[in-house]
Amino acid sequence: MAEIAVTQQEIDAVFPKVAETMADALGCDVTDIKPDVSLIEGLDAESIDFLDMVFRLERAFKIKIPRGKIVENARGDLPDAEFEQGGIVTDKGLAQLKSYLSEVPAERFKTPMKVADIPRLFTPTTFCKLVVRAQKEA
Amino acid sequence: MKTASGLAGKSVLVTGGSRGIGRAIVETFAGEGARVAFFYRGNDEAAQDVVQSMHAAGHHVHAERVDVRDSAACVQAVEKLADETGRIDVLINNAGVIRDNPLTALTDDDVATVLDTNVGGVFNTTRAVAPYMVMQRAGAIVNLSSVAGSKGGRGQTNYAASKGAIEAFTRALAVELAPRKIRVNAVAPGVIDTEMSQAVRDLAGDEVKARILMRRVGSAEDVANAVWFLASDYASYVTGEVFHVDGGFKFD
Repeated sequence: MAEIAVTQQEIDAVFPKVAETMADALGCDVTDIKPDVSLIEGLDAESIDFLDMVFRLERAFKIKIPRGKIVENARGDLPDAEFEQGGIVTDKGLAQLKSYLSEVPAERFKTPMKVADIPRLFTPTTFCKLVVRAQKEA
Repeated sequence: MKTASGLAGKSVLVTGGSRGIGRAIVETFAGEGARVAFFYRGNDEAAQDVVQSMHAAGHHVHAERVDVRDSAACVQAVEKLADETGRIDVLINNAGVIRDNPLTALTDDDVATVLDTNVGGVFNTTRAVAPYMVMQRAGAIVNLSSVAGSKGGRGQTNYAASKGAIEAFTRALAVELAPRKIRVNAVAPGVIDTEMSQAVRDLAGDEVKARILMRRVGSAEDVANAVWFLASDYASYVTGEVFHVDGGFKFD
């Protein structure tokens, strides 16, 4: 599936509402939600918080975000076996991931990277892009 | 010490609420001042009877025809309920069926129907409701298990497997949802005087009473009271538990 392009302007347009929604889900101040903060490392988000954020975003923006959508999108057109092997993201997979998560600073992509650690890369901008794409797909 | 259950005004969803134990649960929560919605599979007449009698008593009760095996229908009905009430505070997973027969006589349909309804239904409804409770950072879920979940019963492999699964589900979900202050418990009724268990009681006759310490079959209200307790603020420090309501049946 071809990736839907998202412009910075589109990200900026949804960011305030995304930030507000995330602050509600995480129980933190909206000013803590910086566009590039790591949700796990920087804001102590846990897996249940991600579910909560997605659910709240669905309701706030009247969109549908299938569960596991970010990782699925991040994988792009790469078949499973080419994206990861034994739970570790391949070089090809990492390149794809860096392209999809272009908002994440390069130094945060650790190697070897476990598939289970991909959510550690997610930032509020990642979710803004998810929202914009869901709006475009609707 | 608390002096109120905390259930007045709460939004409560009960699956399988038109008859038997489910009906008693609906009546108990509605009587406490909760706003109760219940799912029923197909008996419009029984469902309307519950709604009308509750309305006549001045209670808030609403019925929705939903087959809990249908996950999309569960999501749709739960969304509708949440839109109307703004929140869902309590979920009672009660819907269940029995298709007793010795293992080798069970048809594929006997196995699938029991597992899909009793276990699949709990997954479908809880998956639809849990996000609201997570968002609220509060909630109570009570699942209906059975004495069969922990004690062998002839001709009940499918039913026992479904109830054992519900108990395991209860413990696992309690761990998952505890960070958001959502409690998950189960009630395991013994032999209860309901339409659904009539055949079992007919088969066992008086012999079954001799194996119950309290020397009587339980009532649907006995079970509803335990469900009420676990959903109430009185049980605010109880989660991941299976509460047996069987008159001592398991101790024979």
